Amino acid sequence: MSQARQYELVYIMSPDATEQEVTDLHAQIESIITRYQGALVKTENWGRRKLAFRIGKHREGTYVLEVFTGTGELTKELDRRLKVIDSVIRHLCVRVDEELRLAERTRARREVETQKRIAKGLPVGGRSRRGDDDGGDDDQSDRAEV
Amino acid sequence: MAEERRGRGGAGSKTRGNGRGGEKGGPRRGMFRRRKVCKFCADKVDYIDYKDAKMLLPFVPERAKILPRRISGVCAMHQRKLQTAIMRARTLALLPYSTD
Repeated sequence: MSQARQYELVYIMSPDATEQEVTDLHAQIESIITRYQGALVKTENWGRRKLAFRIGKHREGTYVLEVFTGTGELTKELDRRLKVIDSVIRHLCVRVDEELRLAERTRARREVETQKRIAKGLPVGGRSRRGDDDGGDDDQSDRAEV
Repeated sequence: MAEERRGRGGAGSKTRGNGRGGEKGGPRRGMFRRRKVCKFCADKVDYIDYKDAKMLLPFVPERAKILPRRISGVCAMHQRKLQTAIMRARTLALLPYSTD
């Protein structure tokens, strides 16, 4: 509750939808977000892409990504709206702040670890170190089993 | 690889041995087994993005099924995250559910 929840919303519009419709829907979504005291962080239009499989009768679609902060009520409302709109053939809304924060934390921890290793004059980087360990173990088990 | 081995030891080495032999499709004597290291740990990937279909593609070969980690060598934590990412990508038609 302390920090705002961040969500990523991706929706696919039917390939028949015009530029105008795409911008209209974007504006509509933005207004809903602001109505629910949310904030739009980023929006990305991936343009027309081929779908991995057919959805309805469509083989391609226009992808739009919106990153925003807000509440659960907001996502519920967006979900409801997008379900109703016919030109949207698929949409997905996921909460990302927790995962991103976790990723950030791991990265920071690794940074600290690297600094410590440098300070101690030890070799830096987990890759080669772990690789060597693995190699040793592997060889041993190989010999044991053959 | 080594970790996986240790983890499975308790489950019964007999069944494991059988499974392995079938997988390799031949006698293991004198065969060099490639060391498997989790790709995400090695590249220090913290967040597996479901929007990056190119990155996920090697983990859904041919039939578009998720590659088991006994083959890919991905660690448990990253396999879990990978699974979520692949399932999300499938919802968005970035990856196929199946191909034939």
